[in-house]
Amino acid sequence: MSTITKKILLVDDNQLFLKMLSRAFRKAGFECVTAESAADALTLLKTNIPDAVLSDYEMPAMNGLQFREELLADAALMDIPFIFLTHISDNELMVKGLGLQAVDYVLKDTPVNVIVSKLNNIIYTVQKQHELSKNELKRAAEALNVRTIPHSTPYIKGFHIDFWHQPYQDIPGGDFIDFIHADDTHTFVVLGDIMGKKWTAWFFTFSFLSYVRAAVRFGAYSGDYSVASILQKVNEVICLDDVLKDMLSSLSLLMIDTATNQISYSGAGDLPLLHYDAKTSQLKRVSSDGLLLGLFANGNFTEQQISLGNNDRLFIFTDGMTDLSAGSGKKSDYNQFMNSLKPLLNNDHSFESLKNELFESLTGLRVDDCSIIQIRKIS
Amino acid sequence: MIKILKDTPGHLLIEIEISEANLDNSDLFKTQVTELLDRHKKNIVIDFNRVEYIDSSFLGSLVAILKHAMAQKLDVILTAMRPDVYELLLLIRLDKVFKIYGDYQEAASAI
Repeated sequence: MSTITKKILLVDDNQLFLKMLSRAFRKAGFECVTAESAADALTLLKTNIPDAVLSDYEMPAMNGLQFREELLADAALMDIPFIFLTHISDNELMVKGLGLQAVDYVLKDTPVNVIVSKLNNIIYTVQKQHELSKNELKRAAEALNVRTIPHSTPYIKGFHIDFWHQPYQDIPGGDFIDFIHADDTHTFVVLGDIMGKKWTAWFFTFSFLSYVRAAVRFGAYSGDYSVASILQKVNEVICLDDVLKDMLSSLSLLMIDTATNQISYSGAGDLPLLHYDAKTSQLKRVSSDGLLLGLFANGNFTEQQISLGNNDRLFIFTDGMTDLSAGSGKKSDYNQFMNSLKPLLNNDHSFESLKNELFESLTGLRVDDCSIIQIRKIS
Repeated sequence: MIKILKDTPGHLLIEIEISEANLDNSDLFKTQVTELLDRHKKNIVIDFNRVEYIDSSFLGSLVAILKHAMAQKLDVILTAMRPDVYELLLLIRLDKVFKIYGDYQEAASAI
């Protein structure tokens, strides 16, 4: 079963019963949110989505059945497992409740520990089902050979590439990475992040990545290796695409030219890259001008050249690397990420060791998909 | 989720009532603000003072709202952002897309 704390919403107009029940659920490791009326519960549900709702039937103003009808009318709430709780052992009521897709029915005189176990089982079954569907989708994607994160790093003469990717809660999400060998001397490095999380974002990564791959290939055929011009073409097409026009994505596009040892870079609403200068031990931001892909037809993409000295490193990453849980909330802190990376670089830590000491050690605090690519200049 | 603080002839001032603006509430936010734009046909000033964290899903909704407003020749103006939230918008260049002001007074006199 998932190790993430299960959250339950208890709805009952009887304060005493609510207190007793929430104490038992908290003791069993649940996070409990309580509401004394269906109206209060609906307000809570606007900002707080639980794993299950356990609701009384008999309540003044809006009763349990009406409350259930309200939830069913809302696409964001209709799939939360719903369990009726009541004093009345009324068959007709039970049929009505189950007709409203209530998962189960619990009588209030059932011992509290039995109610807790029942809820635990229901949530477990739902999560298990979700897990199975997730694996089915993963398998289907594998079978179709649609991949948005590469299996391995490419060989590029004079450079060493590493990357690390961790999907949020292990569900494929909106980050995508690609390395495209356009010809013998030009390799493109792509890192994108569709705005959104989990499956919805994941689905669109294929479309975005396909446009980027096509633009890179067509560019290379016609001798146009300009990263800014490629981004502009991709952006124009996305703005015209009926399916994608409401989606936004950040993108860092780099082209490594092994003939000149130069890297050209253009970004679309991406986080500034970090360039570690091995000679001076300085870590500097490399910012670009372009707007998010899909925002406006003219994305204002500009291009810059980055020269890496021997052992210099260039980091390209998504916001999952800089956003972490902090105390009771979450925090987005680019500078903190930069400050925790710098001492490790000064001590010449390998990418493997950065991964172990910095990236993976924070897994429990991650709130989004994480992706980071390191390009290191080697002699 | 949002509260209307002021309704003037030229614009609405609304406040986001949550501290964590994320995937769980981004769709609802988009629906509510889009409805306000359609119903009132006025510029919208959004007060962010309560927002401590904003994720990319919510930023996506914010941009979708702006595009919806622009199609009606209206504007969406952001105010009272906390430093962390403002810094994130700067990092990804959304300051080039939105008008952002320190507080409502500043925004009102600039509209």
